[in-house]
Amino acid sequence: MKKTVIGLLVISLILAAAYGALAADKTFKMAFMPGIADPFYFTMEKGAQAKAKELGVELIVGEYPKAWGPESQVPILEALAARGDIDLIFTAPTSSEALIPVLKKIHDRGISVITVDTYIGDGDYTKKSNYNFPLAFIGTDNYLGGKVVAESLAKMIGGKGKVMIQNTNPDVSSVVGRGKGFTDGIKGTPGVKLVAHEYCLDNQEKAQAQVGAVLQKNPDLAGVFGVNVFSAQGAYRAIVNAGLTGAVKVATWDATEDLINALKKGEVDLVLAQKPGEIGSLAVEWGYKYLKDGTKIPDKKLVPGFFVFTKDNVNDPDAQQYIYSK
Amino acid sequence: MVPSRQRRHLFQCLDTICIFPDLSAMKNKINFQRLVLKNWVLIFLLLLICFFSILEPAFFSIRNVNNILIASTAVLLLAAGETFVIISGGIDLSVGFIMGFSAVSSATVMQFLFAKGAGYPEPVCIIAGCLAGLLLGLIPGLVNGILVARFRVPPFIATLGMYGIANGVAMKICGGFPVSFLPPLTGKIGNGYLAYYSSKSGLSLFQKPVLTDRADILALVRLVPVSVIIVAVLLIIFGLILSKTRFGQHTYAIGGNVDAAIRSGIDVPRHLIRTYVISSFLASCAGVLLVLRFTMGNHTQFGATYELFAIASVVIGGASLMGGKGTIYGTVVGVLLLGSLEIGFVMIGVEVFYRYIAVGCILIFAVLVDQVFPDLVHNE
Amino acid sequence: MHKSFNFSDRDGLINLLTRIGRNWAIIFLLIELIFFSVTGTGYFSLLNFQNILVASTTVMLLAVGQTFVIITGGIDLSVGFIVGFSGVICAKTMVTLVAAGASQILSIPVGITVALIFGLVPGLVNGLLVAKLRVPAFIATFGMYGVAYGVAEIISGNVPVHNLPPAVGFIGNGYLLYYLPGKLSLFRMPDNLAPEELKLAVGIVPNVVIIALFLILIFTFILSRTRFGQHTYAIGGNMEAAKRAGINVSRHLIKIYMISSFFAASAGIIYVMKFVTGRADAGSARMLDAVSAVVIGGASLFGGTGTILGTVIGALIIACLEIGLVNLAIPTFNLYIAVGAILIFAVLVDQFFPEITYKK
Repeated sequence: MKKTVIGLLVISLILAAAYGALAADKTFKMAFMPGIADPFYFTMEKGAQAKAKELGVELIVGEYPKAWGPESQVPILEALAARGDIDLIFTAPTSSEALIPVLKKIHDRGISVITVDTYIGDGDYTKKSNYNFPLAFIGTDNYLGGKVVAESLAKMIGGKGKVMIQNTNPDVSSVVGRGKGFTDGIKGTPGVKLVAHEYCLDNQEKAQAQVGAVLQKNPDLAGVFGVNVFSAQGAYRAIVNAGLTGAVKVATWDATEDLINALKKGEVDLVLAQKPGEIGSLAVEWGYKYLKDGTKIPDKKLVPGFFVFTKDNVNDPDAQQYIYSK
Repeated sequence: MVPSRQRRHLFQCLDTICIFPDLSAMKNKINFQRLVLKNWVLIFLLLLICFFSILEPAFFSIRNVNNILIASTAVLLLAAGETFVIISGGIDLSVGFIMGFSAVSSATVMQFLFAKGAGYPEPVCIIAGCLAGLLLGLIPGLVNGILVARFRVPPFIATLGMYGIANGVAMKICGGFPVSFLPPLTGKIGNGYLAYYSSKSGLSLFQKPVLTDRADILALVRLVPVSVIIVAVLLIIFGLILSKTRFGQHTYAIGGNVDAAIRSGIDVPRHLIRTYVISSFLASCAGVLLVLRFTMGNHTQFGATYELFAIASVVIGGASLMGGKGTIYGTVVGVLLLGSLEIGFVMIGVEVFYRYIAVGCILIFAVLVDQVFPDLVHNE
Repeated sequence: MHKSFNFSDRDGLINLLTRIGRNWAIIFLLIELIFFSVTGTGYFSLLNFQNILVASTTVMLLAVGQTFVIITGGIDLSVGFIVGFSGVICAKTMVTLVAAGASQILSIPVGITVALIFGLVPGLVNGLLVAKLRVPAFIATFGMYGVAYGVAEIISGNVPVHNLPPAVGFIGNGYLLYYLPGKLSLFRMPDNLAPEELKLAVGIVPNVVIIALFLILIFTFILSRTRFGQHTYAIGGNMEAAKRAGINVSRHLIKIYMISSFFAASAGIIYVMKFVTGRADAGSARMLDAVSAVVIGGASLFGGTGTILGTVIGALIIACLEIGLVNLAIPTFNLYIAVGAILIFAVLVDQFFPEITYKK
């Protein structure tokens, strides 16, 4: 009796190991290391998961860091890589310099690297440098997007007036880039003047209070740029409360359902959508192609671009895919 | 600094001298000094308001006062709950995330019942949502209290654990996205005022007059935000509980000396549980209020550090982290001080990083005076 | 065979439980490690354990400094930004010297020294405020937190400091030894390795861990074996009694806050070495973890108790837990809940043991 049980156990163990080994050969394992807990990255994960399911790739997601920066991100990244069974990691580096040695170590151990949304070094991986080892940079340019918003907002307010930026955190490179792009973008329209650049630290109440204060000081404020979901929510709330919907134009970034709804109601005038779902999907797709037969990404760069929602196109059926959703 | 024994001697001399009428003026001066020092933080706040108003006249306006009060509503409630906990000798790090949890819960209920207009009538959805948020918000407080009182987990760890749990649950409920498509009536309640005055249409209660001209809109005077009224009522109720009821007395007693409290017959574990439930309840009130103000339910972001500001306000208001001291009144002044600094610096246009330095120094200064002359203040 | 229940059996059980209770923190850590090694993928590996140690250096250094402060019944909230403050000063000094033509051998030690000296200043101010002006520790250090952040951002111009001398990263990310099948190399990775060899190369003992360990050992000695350490506990236990016993409490407290500041500055310098960049917001995310580590390690926020060994174990418990849950690929929201629940559990069970032992 005992011998039969042991025999059965041994056979099932061998079968399990064999199955495991075979299965390991078949499926690729990828890991996604996001930048921070934010609807933008949640949507990116969703796009990546959908693509992974389609291609039969196993996707593991690292913990969403509570704060932006290498201190929070690097331990999680290294923990994922230390598993030993990952073939490719795609991550949004939270520091263009600090992540270079970390990702290089991961690359040297045989794990391919793609950077999404942000980049290491200067983002050009084709030239000779100590950061040319990633397969590609897939993302949108925050600086360029800021410029696009600036130009659109300037047009909306008729080419002249006072504007303000409601930003979130001066230490997060993506939003800082948007602010810089906006500041440089309005230089092209001399009649538009930047009167305030505030930081609300992702606190929508603070955003509302800050916009309210700036409005109090500048009653002729013409436009507000809310740089991410939380600052945008606070910003448009302040304008609505002041009864100035429509009189003060509100431009926002990241197309959550709430902001799209506000756009339809007229409380917000412009929503810039990055394409996080597409970025995540592209990362998985090209990563799979590379792992399967070594296909390289041309120029090591893919830029899916933006989509700008305004009242005119918010109900277009083609535009609906760019809305971020759970 | 004059040694305290000599100072006491000085006062005794003054007391004897002051039976002579011409020296009673000196005694009044000392009484005045004591009054100033006892209410130093409030006086400091008033000085600060004057300072900002001189530099930027727009600071001193009804609209700006409203702005500061409205911006402070959430922290006021969080800090009020925190006051109870700190007086009892504990600490509650989870208040910010309980607020997010109750905001998300009540918004989800409202969204579900409202069904984008196809469901129940708005008042039903709103009341159901508020009740859901408030009731669910009691649970974290209950857990905190049981962990601290019955299992003797240090409050720092118990509430730090709850911080993670409440936030994780909140994010699971909303999937990390804001919960929106709520009945529009929420916004009207949360952002409404008691009365509006405009030169065009006169005084109107609760109803915002319809104005089209931008100049008229800007000139509209809004009196007493509804959200501030709600908060004021809660603060008065809980302030009275703390200062005038036996419950309040017991809270101070436990914070002052736990063993003496036990020996005098106070059921300390049960009392502590109630303290944490109060903190949790006020945090969930803050959450529901946020839903009413923003017409959406958001989980609390990590970067917002609400708990740090709540605790700081309580300490500025006179409490000690060792327990046994503190008042709701002091806490309110502390919160308003922080709120005014924030708005004031935006208005006078100080650059962000200089602001951090200024706020840091000002906070220290605000508390300094109270500490440098404690003998003067406490020698009654 | 009959078994009779006699008193020696019962005492043995109680003894065992007491021993578990007293060493609960380290037992919990071991349980954690075993659990994750069994259920995780590649958790039980030299690479992973070294990563955990390196990842925990910031929290550990902050927590060790914080231990001194908490034992005296205070708290130091400024450490969160002193890390960034000293990191930025260190980085800026190095960059400026190198740009002016100095060699790396000169600019790196100078940068470190300057950062340490400046890093002591916030501690001095904190100490003066708390000891001489009797500002509550919470407010004094909360105020300094803001000041340190503001100054750090102004110095760095709100941009992470770039272009540091490459040797910095070499030290910060390097190991004492490198092992390849057949080769053993000291301090540097052998050059010209083929990709397959590169894959197999393993580093042993990260440099930053050696530095952190060195500092921690020195101060453990100070806290547990010197009169300074004794006085620290005395002040935390009963400040009035300490004063009457002749201890210069004010001066001692100033030194305590400077120690905390020193550790935060060291953490900042190590940050610069690990990440080859100076950021003003460097340590802010780790501050709460640092205080938690001290409390998990057995200290009370009221003062008088706590050990550095306990703090180190507390920091390791937190680090191993987070890395373990990431290794298991637990979805993020569940992870936040799990960390909270397990931390409570870690401390909760500790409370049961003394009850059993004292029930006579």
